[in-house]
Amino acid sequence: MTAPSAAEPLVEIRDLHVAFPQFEGTVHAVRGVSLHLAPGESLGIVGESGSGKSVSCMAVMRLLRSPPAQISADRLALEGIDVMAAGKDDLTRLRGRAAAMIFQDPMTAFDPVFTIGQQIAETLRLHREMGRRAARDEALNLLRRVEIRNPEAVLESYPHQLSGGMLQRAMIAMALSCHPRVLFADEPTTALDVTVQAQILQLIKDLQAELGMGLIMVTHDMGVVAETVDRVVVMYGGQVMEQAGVIDIFERPAHPYTRALLASIPGQEGGRRRLTEIPGGSPDPSDPPGGCPFHPRCPEADARCAAEAPPLLTGADGRQTACWRVTP
Amino acid sequence: MIGYILRRLVSVAVTFFIVSVLIFSMMHAIPGGPFDAGDMPVPEEVRQKLLAQYGLDEPLYVQYLKYMWGVLRLDFGVPFQSPGETVLELLGRAWVPSLVLGGLGVLIGAPLGMLLGMAAALKRNSWIDYLASAVATLGLTIPVFVTSMLLILTFSVWLGWLPSSGWGAPERWILPIVAYATIPMATYARYTRSAMLDTLNKPFVTVLRAKGLPERQIVFKHVLRNSAIPLVTVFLPMFIGTATGSIFVEAMFRVPGLGSFFVSSIRTRDYPLEMALMLMLTLMFCLAYLLSDILYAWLNPRIRHGGGRE
Repeated sequence: MTAPSAAEPLVEIRDLHVAFPQFEGTVHAVRGVSLHLAPGESLGIVGESGSGKSVSCMAVMRLLRSPPAQISADRLALEGIDVMAAGKDDLTRLRGRAAAMIFQDPMTAFDPVFTIGQQIAETLRLHREMGRRAARDEALNLLRRVEIRNPEAVLESYPHQLSGGMLQRAMIAMALSCHPRVLFADEPTTALDVTVQAQILQLIKDLQAELGMGLIMVTHDMGVVAETVDRVVVMYGGQVMEQAGVIDIFERPAHPYTRALLASIPGQEGGRRRLTEIPGGSPDPSDPPGGCPFHPRCPEADARCAAEAPPLLTGADGRQTACWRVTP
Repeated sequence: MIGYILRRLVSVAVTFFIVSVLIFSMMHAIPGGPFDAGDMPVPEEVRQKLLAQYGLDEPLYVQYLKYMWGVLRLDFGVPFQSPGETVLELLGRAWVPSLVLGGLGVLIGAPLGMLLGMAAALKRNSWIDYLASAVATLGLTIPVFVTSMLLILTFSVWLGWLPSSGWGAPERWILPIVAYATIPMATYARYTRSAMLDTLNKPFVTVLRAKGLPERQIVFKHVLRNSAIPLVTVFLPMFIGTATGSIFVEAMFRVPGLGSFFVSSIRTRDYPLEMALMLMLTLMFCLAYLLSDILYAWLNPRIRHGGGRE
């Protein structure tokens, strides 16, 4: 692990467990995840759907309805404030101001009966206590800042009148409106066209550097990670498999799952390679395999992997891995 | 929008015409007539004279055309059962109690039902949710004459708090208004609950929470407004249906309202009154649905600002 910085981490998650009881049995979405984010840092959380990456972020924002969600953690904090103990008013103040979030599908992220301008202004009036007029002007500035063409028209538009790319830009504008110290981006480009994806990623990266805020990029796409973050957490079956700097992850992946994930990126090294896939499917979260969650699909697994879950060990270089085959 | 409204108005006129033909012919197709021997036997020649006097000896299409010509000039004729006044005078007189009692019933029942439905949606699986479900189910399944009877038994017979029947003094209004209010309340409790739950599960609500909006503001500003759009459209037809009187409620509480005339005009073969009642109801329902549709479009930006994605 990197030496603890003097500043308090923006996001701190220690041994988080999230479960959803259902008729067919309890779904264990997150099983002992720990991660942290320093001010100004950018972290990617990568994993397949169902790996618990979104749920972990939703948990630290306290956006999971509980009940039904059962959340427990040694520590769950935003800007040093324990969100498990925080009251309603504290949470309202933390959300939007300390931490903001953008979501996967911009088409359904806005209230259909209010204009974009009204919805951005609402946030400004709430957190920055602006008047109607000032909030509208600031909303216009924000739309310009996210490089929306004819921001005046977009301000007066209803969500159904705009394209997905425009809406995602507007959502970023809304998320950044109150200068959050950390931005959670939950698959922000998955629902968009490929050409728009690159623009949105570039925009997020630029704004992050410009505003000096922390970024947590949740994605299943290794390409997105490579372009946007400094450090990567690889998740599988509700657990952290590996955590390292982005260059280390790409050049010296240690965990078999990380290696398999990288091997399945098409067209790597420019060669005409066959597309490699990871055999098998994601583990059933209501009945996770014993031992290492990846062992049923791991080419290197042995009896010990099936019997006993490997601990997440930290090496001298700060890299963390949870694998019996890897000595950090 | 203007074109749409004009097209709809044309369709209202067509509906009105079709209903008038149907009712007129069905009314005359029932065997017998207003001056048949029965309650007051008259000699055959007197009967013929009466028929001629009311124009009932002419061919049916002539009668229809003459009647509709009158309708266009707002002349609905004279009711057979009360020849001292015109049909319009009778309707104006009898409608007041129905409008007051039924109208107040909806105006009180619908908001109460909405509140109940909201509370149920926000506190799912709590006692208030179960209460709302019970009210909705009982309100929609117990016939209104049973409700009326229970009200009279409880508040007039056992407790002796309120008069059981009549019209005039406002304390006589209370029980019939409560009886009228049950169905709008039950309907609105059910609709509101499901509309709110539907909206609460929309992704934009999570976005609103993530941006730090207090739950109160999320519910009252965003969720309520989205859920209310479909609810608004139910209101006018419900109001028309209730404020034209219920024969059961008016019979139980002996209210001199419009409700009883719907049945008595058919039983006594009171052609002018029967036609007037049915045409009035047709027109009011057509206009209520038209207004609801316009209101829906106006409240819903996805229709008001058509287009679609760029």
